[in-house]
Amino acid sequence: MQATATTRPISRARLRPGAAIGRYSLRGVAFLYLGLFILIPVAAVLQAGFSNGLDDLRAALNSFGARNAIELTLVMAALTAVINGVFGTLLAYIFVRMPFPGRDLLSTIVDLPFAVPTLVAGVMLVALYGPNSTVGGWLADHGIHVIFARLGILLALLFVTLPLVVRAVQPVLLELDLAEEEAARVLGAGSWTTFRKIVLPALRPAITAGALLVFARSMGEFGAIVFVSGNIPNQTLTAPVLISQLLNPTNYGSSGGPAEAAAVSSLLFGFSFVVVLVTERLSSRSSGWFFS
Amino acid sequence: MTTVPARPSHPRSRERLIRGALIATALVYVLVLLVAPLAGIVYYALKAGLGEIGTTYNQPDIRHAFYLTGIIMIVTVIVTSVFGVIVALVLARDNFRGKALVSAFVDLPLAVSPVIVGLMAVLLFGRGGWFEPFFAAQGIQIVYALPSMILVTIFIAIPFVIREVVPVLEELGTEEEQAAWTLGASRWQTFRRVTLPNIRWGLLYGIALSAARSIGEVGAVLIVSGSLQGQTETATLYILRAFDQYQDQQGYIVALTLAAFSIVLLIGIETLKRRSTRRAR
Amino acid sequence: MKSILRAPDRGRWFKLVGAAASVPVLMFAAACGGTSSASSTSGPCKPSDSPVITLAAYSNPYDAYGKLTSTFTSDWKDSHNGQSVIFQMSFAGSTTQATNIVNGFPADVYASSLDPDVGLVQKAGLITHDWQNDQDGSIVASSVVGFMVRPGNPKHIENWNDLTQSGLQILTPDPAQSGGAKWNISAAYGAAMRGQVPGVAPNDPAAAEKLLEGIFKNVTVLDKSANDSFKNFESGNGDVAITYENQALAGIAAGSKDQFIIPPATIQIQTPTVVVDKNAEKHCVEPIANAFVKYLHTPDAQEVFQTIGYERPIDTAAAAKGGNGYPAVKDLFTADDIGGWDKLVSDTVFGPDGAFTQAFKAAKG
Repeated sequence: MQATATTRPISRARLRPGAAIGRYSLRGVAFLYLGLFILIPVAAVLQAGFSNGLDDLRAALNSFGARNAIELTLVMAALTAVINGVFGTLLAYIFVRMPFPGRDLLSTIVDLPFAVPTLVAGVMLVALYGPNSTVGGWLADHGIHVIFARLGILLALLFVTLPLVVRAVQPVLLELDLAEEEAARVLGAGSWTTFRKIVLPALRPAITAGALLVFARSMGEFGAIVFVSGNIPNQTLTAPVLISQLLNPTNYGSSGGPAEAAAVSSLLFGFSFVVVLVTERLSSRSSGWFFS
Repeated sequence: MTTVPARPSHPRSRERLIRGALIATALVYVLVLLVAPLAGIVYYALKAGLGEIGTTYNQPDIRHAFYLTGIIMIVTVIVTSVFGVIVALVLARDNFRGKALVSAFVDLPLAVSPVIVGLMAVLLFGRGGWFEPFFAAQGIQIVYALPSMILVTIFIAIPFVIREVVPVLEELGTEEEQAAWTLGASRWQTFRRVTLPNIRWGLLYGIALSAARSIGEVGAVLIVSGSLQGQTETATLYILRAFDQYQDQQGYIVALTLAAFSIVLLIGIETLKRRSTRRAR
Repeated sequence: MKSILRAPDRGRWFKLVGAAASVPVLMFAAACGGTSSASSTSGPCKPSDSPVITLAAYSNPYDAYGKLTSTFTSDWKDSHNGQSVIFQMSFAGSTTQATNIVNGFPADVYASSLDPDVGLVQKAGLITHDWQNDQDGSIVASSVVGFMVRPGNPKHIENWNDLTQSGLQILTPDPAQSGGAKWNISAAYGAAMRGQVPGVAPNDPAAAEKLLEGIFKNVTVLDKSANDSFKNFESGNGDVAITYENQALAGIAAGSKDQFIIPPATIQIQTPTVVVDKNAEKHCVEPIANAFVKYLHTPDAQEVFQTIGYERPIDTAAAAKGGNGYPAVKDLFTADDIGGWDKLVSDTVFGPDGAFTQAFKAAKG
C-alpha cells in the first residue's frame, strides 16, 4: 500500500496495473465466445446456402408453397407486432400509471410466456380451441376456425410475444419526467391529448423497438405453431416449418436437402439481422444499447 | 395573473370511466390470451388425480427425460452466465468500433428460428460437416447425441443474461469500482466484491430466463437429437412423443411440470428482488 | 523484472482461460458420458458386455417393436452366455429418419415404411448389401391403406371418389416427411389406374391426376408423420383420415369409436427393415443387428407383428384374403403392380410432372 502524501494525480494506468492486459483478455474471451457460438454457425448456414451461388435459393423458393410460406410468415409476424404493440403499450401504461388492486399479480402473469415452453403453449391452444372442446366447438359452429387456421397461428404468436413489448416500454415509462404531463394537464389538455402528444412520442422508440423484437421473434416461432397450424402450403405453412420440410429431400418437385434449407434460412437471417440492427438503434435507454 | 380554469369535475368521472375501461380491456386480453390456456394445462394435467402424477414421475423414460433436460439446463446456464457476464462487461464498459454490430449479434439468437439452429448443428457436426471429421476421428458423437443438444440450447440462450446485465452495468457506472481500485483492490477482487453484488438481480433474472428458455426448447432439439427414447429425449421431446403414443395424460403432466418449474423460478427471483429493494429503502 | 500482472491479476487471467477451456472440456465430458461404450470406439471391435443397437423406425410400430426387441433380447441372452443387448429406439416419420441417418444419426437398424426411403440411405453409401433381394425383399410387415371415419360413417365414404365430395375435411400426412403419405397417395393413384374407382377411367394418368386433385382440395392438415396425422384425427379434427389399417386398429383397440373403411382397391403397404451396414460395422454390432433383422422374418416375430402390431401377412394373396377379423380386400395391389417405386417417385406420381405433383399444385395453388 502506498503511503504517499503527495497530491500528484494518479494516472489510470497506475490505478489499474495490468489494465490493458485485462481489457484485451476480456475482449478476447468475449469475442471467442461469440465467434464460436454465433459467428461460426451463421457462417456455416450462409456457406451451405450459397455455395452454389443463388441456385439453391432459387430452387427452394420455387418449391411448392415456399414463397407463400415466407409471405405468410412475414404477414403474421407484422400483425402480431402491431396487435401486441398496442396491447403491450396499454399494459405497460397501466402498470406504471394506474395502480389498482392485483396490478402486481397481472404484471407477473404477463411475464409467464417467458416461462411456458412454446410447445406447451401450442398444446394448450389446441386443447382449448380444438373442435372437441366446448369453446372450439362453439366457435366452429359459428364459422370461426382456430386450429389449423391462421387464427390459431396468430393466437400462438400473440401468446408467445406479449411480454416483449411490455418489458421494452415499461422502463422508459418509468423514467419519463412527469413534469411535462402535469404541465399539459394544468393547461387543460385531457388525458387522451396528453397521452397522444406528450407520452406517445416519448415512447415511440421503445414501442418500435419492442414491436420489432416481436416481429423478429414471430418470424422464427416453431414450437407453438407446429401443433396449431395445419402446415398446408399456401394456406397455413410458415417459413420455419417450411425449412424443416426442406431438410428432407424430395419435396414436391424440388429436390430439397440441406442446401435449400440453408438458403431459405439465410434469407430469414437477413431479415432478422436487419430488424435486430434497427432495434438496437432505436433502443432509447440513454446509455443502453445505443452506440454511435 | 391569468386565472387557470379549474378542472371541471365532469371530465374527472369520465376519466375514471376510461381508466376502468382500459384496465378492463387489458385484463380481458390477458385473461383470454394467457390465463385460459394456462388454466387448461392445469385442468388436463390434474384431471386424472394426483396418484397419476406419482406414477408418471416414476416412469423411467420420463425420469431420464427430466434428467436430460436438467443437465442441458445446468450446462447452458453455467456457460451463458459466465460468458454472458464477460460479454456484458465488454459491451458496457469497453469502447471499440463496431460495438453496435457485436450487440446485434448478441441479439440474433432471439430472432433466429430454432429450426435453423438445428440446421446449423447438422451443417457443422453432421456427416460431411465442418467439424465432423475431427470429432469422428476421436470417436465422439456430436449430432444425434447430448453434445449437440447442449450446443443448440446454448446458442438459443446466449442473449438473456447479457441483455439483463448490460443495462444494470450501465446504470451503475464505474464510480464504486474506481473507488475500489483506488483502495488497492485487484480486478478480480473488485469484480467479486463490488461489481457482482451490484448486478446480482439482473444476473439472477437473466439466469432464470436462460434456464426457462433452455428447458422449453423443442424445435432445435427435435432436429439434432434423433429422439432416441429414454436416451436423447428431453422433457419437451417426450411431450411430443407422449401425444403421439396415446400417453396424453403423461404429456400434460410433464408439460405442467416444466411450466411450473419455470414459473416458480421467475416468480421467486422477482419476489426476492422486490423484497430486497424494499429492505434497502 | 516482475510480471506486470500482479498475482491476483494472474489468477484472474488463469480463471478466464480456464473458463474458456471449460467449454470444450464440458462438451467432451458430455459426449463421453452421453454416448454408450459401443458407439465411441473407432478401432477394432472388442466384445462388449452390453452391446447397444440403435433402431430408427417410422412413426407407428412402437408397440410391435417394443415387444420384438424385448423378446429378442431375452432369447439372445439365453443363447449367448448372458450377453445383454440394449435397444435404443427412435420413432419419427420414415423420410425424416432416412434424412437423419444420412446426416449422421447412428442407427444400426432402419425400420422404414417404404423402399425409396431405404434407397436414400443406400444412396448415401451407408447400406452396402443388396437388401431388395434379401429374404422377402426385406419386407417384415404389411398393412393396407384405408379410411378412418366417424362412427356410423356419416359422410358415406366407401371409395376413393367419395373423398372428393365438397366440404369434406381430410387428414393425411406430409409426403415430404412421412412414408405413410406416399403410400396413401399411391393407393389412390393405383386404384384409379386399375379402374377400380367409379367415374375414373382406367389407365388414364390425367384422370388419376384429377382424382388426386379432388382429394387434396379437401385436405386440411399435412402432419409430419402418419402417427401425428392419425392422432390428430382422433382428437376430433377432420371428417376422414387416410391411414394405415394397423394404426386404425390400434386406435380402435385403445378405445376409439371411429370406424375403418377399406375401399375395394387399395395398396398393400410393405414396410422394409434393413441393417445399416456402415453404422453396424462401426459400432461392432453387425452380427447382432443381422440376427435381429433375420428374427423379424420368423413366424414368432410375424405373429407379434400381426397381433400387437395389427399387421397383415407379408404374402400379398394371404393379406388380401383377410380372415381373423381382417376384412378381405377385393383388389389388393402392390407398388410393383403399378410400376414400382423408382418409377412412382421419379416419374409417374411424385416426379416433377407426376400425377400428385401436378394435382397438389392445382389443388393448393
